[in-house]
Amino acid sequence: MEEERRMSTRTRKVAPKMAAALASTDNRTQVRQLLLGLKLWKTIMPELNTLRFMMTMTMLLLMMMMMVFLFSPIFFSAFKFYDNCHVLIVYIQKKQLKGTKRKTRQAKALEDARKAPRTFLELLHEASLESLPPHVPTYLRAAVGPPSSTSRRHFCTVCGFTGGYMCVKCGMRFCSIRCQHIHDDTRCMKFVA
Amino acid sequence: MSNVVVLDNGGGLIKAGHGGDRDPEVTIPNCLYRPLSSKKFLYPSPSNSEDLTSAALRRPIDRGYLINTDLQRDIWAHLFSSLLHVAPSSSSLLLTEPLFTLPSIQRATDELVFEDFNFKSLFVADSPSLVHLYEASRRPDGLVSKAQCSLVVDCGFSFTHAAPVFQNFTVNYAVKRIDLGGKALTNYLKELVSYRAINVMDETFIIDDVKEKLCFVSLDVSRDLQIARKRGKDNQLRCTYVLPDGVTYTKGFVKDPDAAQRYLTLDDGSLPQPSETEKDMVQIDDAEERKDRKRIDLTKNEFDLTNERFLVPEMIFQPADLGMNEAGLAECIVRAVNSCHPYLHSVLYESIILTGGSTLFPRFSERLQMELRPLVPDDYQVKITTQEDPILGVWRGGSLLASSPDFEAMCVTKAEYEELGSARCRKRFFH
Repeated sequence: MEEERRMSTRTRKVAPKMAAALASTDNRTQVRQLLLGLKLWKTIMPELNTLRFMMTMTMLLLMMMMMVFLFSPIFFSAFKFYDNCHVLIVYIQKKQLKGTKRKTRQAKALEDARKAPRTFLELLHEASLESLPPHVPTYLRAAVGPPSSTSRRHFCTVCGFTGGYMCVKCGMRFCSIRCQHIHDDTRCMKFVA
Repeated sequence: MSNVVVLDNGGGLIKAGHGGDRDPEVTIPNCLYRPLSSKKFLYPSPSNSEDLTSAALRRPIDRGYLINTDLQRDIWAHLFSSLLHVAPSSSSLLLTEPLFTLPSIQRATDELVFEDFNFKSLFVADSPSLVHLYEASRRPDGLVSKAQCSLVVDCGFSFTHAAPVFQNFTVNYAVKRIDLGGKALTNYLKELVSYRAINVMDETFIIDDVKEKLCFVSLDVSRDLQIARKRGKDNQLRCTYVLPDGVTYTKGFVKDPDAAQRYLTLDDGSLPQPSETEKDMVQIDDAEERKDRKRIDLTKNEFDLTNERFLVPEMIFQPADLGMNEAGLAECIVRAVNSCHPYLHSVLYESIILTGGSTLFPRFSERLQMELRPLVPDDYQVKITTQEDPILGVWRGGSLLASSPDFEAMCVTKAEYEELGSARCRKRFFH
């Protein structure tokens, strides 16, 4: 009796959460099977002595709180009641999803995102400067553009002097065997130049 | 007459003062920083006596444009109340804004000025026209003021602009921009030093200092590279920078300041040939040098710079060498001039004004002249003017404009802003 009462108070507390777990039909069939097992166990129970009863109870409690929660609808009485109850539970659960707490958190996150400093590139993208007619000078059109000659000097990526050789793996430049070893040991294959 | 606050809100430094003065009252870095010793972010102050080792940084300006208005509000509030001691509600503001500021950023700036600080009125100027104004007023007989036309090359913290100015207005369709400035150079130097010597990726302030003290623009890169390769005393370019240890000194310094200036003696182009006796000396020096190097490895709080000293500023002239697909400064200037009317070309080439902190590298203008000459048609003269203080050039122009009698009439007042909104008010500034 003591046991039963405690379970029922818990049931009231966890019923909405439990309903979420039971929402799918698969779960429900599982529960039915479990409940059948429980019924069987209940019939055998009186024949067991008290010590074993206590042990099994603790086992049961320890096994999984969730399992206990799953069994709890039986205390409401049986399947039919549970099926009726199910609708109610889902309704309660839906109501809580719509509850105020979640909504404010979401709204707050949205507001934070709106307020947070955005990067320059985001702002640039937002301004959609490409859509302006070509005679309007904009940030994008003021960029100087690529150099007229494609020739470039090559410096050793290790020591900075003229780099005559290129790494066969990654294409970075180096000037001597010594620098090649340093290059291989440190930053080879990190970038593809 | 009411008080005018002139504010040159740069990405690296804020220059602020009262209109009509010659120099800004306050020059502070435009950032909040948190040294290792502190838990909170601190406001920058003009006299930085603190240990800035590994200080974390927060900047309101990204790529030259005001992005984080909350941070900027904090810095400005500190600036107006504790450093300048002005009441915004009874003063006007002259604010500089980079070219091609996006409308959304302009709106945010207006909100900041009028709604958060309640300034009485606002005038937004762009830096090239202010520099032109200052230079024209300094030399009333010069070509800049007679032709009312100049080419302002502003090489600042976030980017570099070549902007033709005509009749005090920036010719905005001809402006060309390189996305390279002092910040990129500092980061590049940081990367080089971290790879070759000591990890300094967190030491922005220190590497800034190294860059300012040791970097220079090479006039002959291949020759300087050869010198930098030499060992011992022959290498006139090697220089040692001592990092702060936090105990005896909290600021880094150049170990031998005379050695830092030695590159200036390399002008003649011929390499000094050491005689026989000198060679012996050199060998002894070499031995000493080796001892030195050992010591350096043990203490680990200083590093040598050789070719980094001139390869870092080299970036501005040849970004392609580093894999950036952008033209160099000389080509940038030529493209800016070519976008203008042909009548202006000769005048523009003859009145190039250099401004911005990154032009402070020694021999910057000589190198630019050297690079520019072959690109410019023979019948045009190339004349590059440097400002006496390139960092403050824009601010001085602003101060001059703020003290002109019709400044008040050019401003947008708070009432107008409230009536018309940001976008309509902006039309008055013709940007």
